Amino acid sequence: MTQLYDSFTPATLNLPELLIRLDNDRELLSELIILFQKKYPVLLRQLREYINVKDVIKIESTSHALKGMLSCLSANQSVVLANRIEEMGRDGKTCGLPDALTVFEGEVAKLLAELDRFATKVGT
Amino acid sequence: MKILIADDDEMSRRLLERTLEREGYEVIAVENGRLALLQLSVPEGPRLALLDWMMPELDGPGVCLAIRKQHERPYIHIVLLTSKGSKPDVVAGLEAGADDYLTKPWDPGELTARLRVGQRFLQLEDRLVEARETMRFKATHDNLTSLFNRGVIIDLLDRELTRTRRENGCTVVMLGDLDHFKSINDSYGHVVGDEVLREIARRLLQSVRSYDFVGRYGGEEFLIVLNNCDSTQAIARANEVRNGIANHHVQTMSGPLPVTISLGVFASRDWNAKPVEDILIQTDLALYRAKANGRNCVMLANPPVLIDHVEPVAQF
Repeated sequence: MTQLYDSFTPATLNLPELLIRLDNDRELLSELIILFQKKYPVLLRQLREYINVKDVIKIESTSHALKGMLSCLSANQSVVLANRIEEMGRDGKTCGLPDALTVFEGEVAKLLAELDRFATKVGT
Repeated sequence: MKILIADDDEMSRRLLERTLEREGYEVIAVENGRLALLQLSVPEGPRLALLDWMMPELDGPGVCLAIRKQHERPYIHIVLLTSKGSKPDVVAGLEAGADDYLTKPWDPGELTARLRVGQRFLQLEDRLVEARETMRFKATHDNLTSLFNRGVIIDLLDRELTRTRRENGCTVVMLGDLDHFKSINDSYGHVVGDEVLREIARRLLQSVRSYDFVGRYGGEEFLIVLNNCDSTQAIARANEVRNGIANHHVQTMSGPLPVTISLGVFASRDWNAKPVEDILIQTDLALYRAKANGRNCVMLANPPVLIDHVEPVAQF
């Protein structure tokens, strides 16, 4: 398990913390990864649309939902970035949202890659 | 123990479900506040709940507010689980009726420890409710026979008479006294006397309908209140009660004993509005006449007619 931990960047995915939270239940982790891979693209597409039309209420709720999903995976850096978008939506600060979304997307792209690597290792 | 999880995020729900199942909980998971309220409102529903704050249809605090309005239900321990972690959020959640508050991402150890605290509160509440019910029973029932005590049966009679007058109905009142009971106590001792009283109480309850009332009026005296019972049926019902006692000996530690009862009977329709004290006096006079007429019989309060009579059993 130590080798598995070492191969991941803690800033993107805190795997040791995640496995402790899951009581080392790899089957559950695989299930969560599949759920995330399925739901994330849908929510991201919606978030992009809401940012385009500056619908701050939906920006806030969608980024809140993304934050909840990411916190289930102990993806701490992505959680911080989702929270930033949520706060911007709540405060109605629409001007910085496209940039914040770009940073967020970049971080989650790294996360998805790491989740793919993990899934391959455990045979998901 | 059953626990409800309400979270619109499927990943959170799944994670919580697995964590709590590992801890031995019987998990019910729903995806919005409306379904959560539905689950928490059913009898025998979960008494522990983990609610997300932001949910479609009804949010977590909304569920708390609705649950706290259901005063008649057993207490439900509610933990709000959310990423809203500011002080005003915490205060708002607790003010809405939540008992505890955890922010996402939660630590499984802390989560299960807090749920155990919740379980301890619920156990304490159950013990308090049980103690209160025991005290209520003791305050309203006779210790020996578990029938209503004198104060309660008179109160029930008073209420029933009020209802009867309002609805122009009829309540039948029976005052029964065991014949020669003192002889049982003198001959066999008070322990056997108590056995007889308990058995008579059981038979009296058996001989009336579930919505009638039976109470211990005095030592060996019993007051029976038959709701919505027509005066024409009063005598037949009283004789059923009398026969229910006289026809079978009472089994005691000193062997089977013959026991009989004399009854004074009153039907409220024939008396219009009379205070409960007057009714009890008239019924008692009827009982006195039943005793004077040889016991093991039924006497109607007005007119004072001996309704049925069986030869008294041998005295002890």
